[in-house]
Amino acid sequence: MTEPLLEVSDLKIHFFTDEGVVKAVEGVDLVIERGKTLCLVGESGCGKSVASRAFMQIIRKPGKIVSGQMLFRRKSDDGTEEIIDLAKMDPKGYPIRQIRGKEISMIFQEPMTSLSLMHTVGHQITEMIRLHTDTTPTEAKVSAIKMLQRVGIPRPERLIDEYPFRLSGGMRQRVMIAMAMSCNPTMLIADEPTTALDVTTQAQILDLMLELQHDYGMALLFITHDLGVVAEIADDVAVMYLGRIVERGDADTVFNEPKHPYTQALLRSIPKIAMQRDELEPIKGMVPSPFRRPTGCQFHPRCAQRFNLCNQVEPANTHLNENHSVRCLLYEDAEARTSNAEAAAHG
Amino acid sequence: MWQYIARRFTYMVFTVWIISLITFAVIQLPPGDYVTTIVSQMINSGMEDLPPDFEQQIREQYGLDQPMVVQYYKWLRNIIVDGKFGYSFVYRKDAKDIILERLPVSFAISGFSVLFIWAVALPIGIYSAVKQYSLADYLVTFIGFIGLAVPSFLFALVLMFFSYKYMDRAMIGLFSREYETAPWSLNKFLDLVKHLGIPVIIIGTAGTAGLIRTMRANLLDELNKPYVDTARSKGLSERALLWKYPVRHALNPFISTVGWILPSLIAGELIVSVVLNLPTSGPVIYNSLLTQDMYVAAGAILILSSMTVIGTFISDLLLAWLDPRVRLH
Repeated sequence: MTEPLLEVSDLKIHFFTDEGVVKAVEGVDLVIERGKTLCLVGESGCGKSVASRAFMQIIRKPGKIVSGQMLFRRKSDDGTEEIIDLAKMDPKGYPIRQIRGKEISMIFQEPMTSLSLMHTVGHQITEMIRLHTDTTPTEAKVSAIKMLQRVGIPRPERLIDEYPFRLSGGMRQRVMIAMAMSCNPTMLIADEPTTALDVTTQAQILDLMLELQHDYGMALLFITHDLGVVAEIADDVAVMYLGRIVERGDADTVFNEPKHPYTQALLRSIPKIAMQRDELEPIKGMVPSPFRRPTGCQFHPRCAQRFNLCNQVEPANTHLNENHSVRCLLYEDAEARTSNAEAAAHG
Repeated sequence: MWQYIARRFTYMVFTVWIISLITFAVIQLPPGDYVTTIVSQMINSGMEDLPPDFEQQIREQYGLDQPMVVQYYKWLRNIIVDGKFGYSFVYRKDAKDIILERLPVSFAISGFSVLFIWAVALPIGIYSAVKQYSLADYLVTFIGFIGLAVPSFLFALVLMFFSYKYMDRAMIGLFSREYETAPWSLNKFLDLVKHLGIPVIIIGTAGTAGLIRTMRANLLDELNKPYVDTARSKGLSERALLWKYPVRHALNPFISTVGWILPSLIAGELIVSVVLNLPTSGPVIYNSLLTQDMYVAAGAILILSSMTVIGTFISDLLLAWLDPRVRLH
């Protein structure tokens, strides 16, 4: 029995720059289930980070949510369950600040720069605890030490008075995780938390996050471009291309029966140990400039299976079954399929 | 930490010593000395028939006939051992008295100017960065550039004119008449503070404009750092996180400016003091250089330079206190 925690529909985020409007996120639909892991996958610049920041309303200027809904289920103050629309909240207002850190918290990509180097580890963690709970400084310190211990930091009672610049990258990311988990959030967003770390540390951090999720039962939104990581941790996968989700489904389905040509190409581009071929198979072409988006399907200039309609018709979301949907004309309807066949015959 | 302070302190002493050497050498550089000045004055006033060994006598009397190294040694020894800065040929009294009479005023003006500059530049710089490209930001930037571009003497003249015309009071001098010659007292100090406003504004304007630019640029760099996102994602309010994180990080260069702001203030003070007729050390140094009154010039320059070096030392200490990276490395 699954239960949606955050339902995102038609989320659009535009950046109003001097050179023009960049449509970073152009209609994203997502469901994050309580206690489950959703991996958001895509190349650099596809809008996955921006979208995840929107869930906390911490998009940087000049970015703005221009439309969409982000329905978040939470316990209201009187104990009943309520549904609030995060998209409608004022980014600087008090209500969203109550959700940030307490109910939704975030781990960032760069552990080197995500912590302030001028404040001690303990200061930065207890600040968050004291902001959201009614505790004395001593109590906050005790629970910070507990949390540091929980994320596997040796001698936390000493490390708590240390400055982050004296810690290694892996240690800093553990501190970040301890901080994000310190108020026991219902949802944790991790924006490429292992990208800046070396491989052995990556594996440790991943294990730690899975373990914490198991123990605390929070939902995890994991943003990555590393499909190996996805295979290891994901319950559900959403593949993003140029501001849209092109395919989503449970991890097994997406890995074993990828439908969208982009997902298929992504999976083919991963090196395999038992690989016969000498070369990797990269996806042809470049990610288009956000100022000059292709017409029709955004992926068609790089797509190996494109046909005549692809540069004209924008594909809608097609539900293949309950847990699997794709945005591609190949799967859309009979008419499209026929023209696909015709195109193939002519080619 | 102590190692850091000890190292900085050693640098400071060494720097002051080098300054003393250079100061003394530079003052000896122009052709002639104070005796030349006296002789030419005497000739100008009609005393043609000076004894042939007159110059030689005076030089011996003041020790000016000795080699420069010996003069330097005696000068420095007197300062360190006896706290004497030599003799003023022009004023016919100890150079120390002349310097001490003027320097406190200079320091008062410079000190208040630094406080003024900080008090104005810090909030405006922060506001300007947070509201980047807003109308207020453009306005502050515009006024700031004017403040940088207008020479302080011109600004002083304009303010003087307006004060004379509309407030019926010339803003010349630093003391009311009754305190001008009075010994130092609390009342005299309060009177000084009252008169300091205008000179401080004039001297501080350029520095303020410069520091607003610095603060704005520093803070703009910091506002987009990931740790700001982290702070925001914790649920801190915009105001709380602004003061706690990016401003704190942006303050580093701000504190370092204390060191270099002092010499530029003292240079600016000279011109303003001449225009507004302020009894600061600037005009005295200027005149002593003209008349080759070497001990006054050397003493004043040495003290001012040392104060600048000490200012830098203090800013180093402040930096260590503020930034753990400086303290712990």
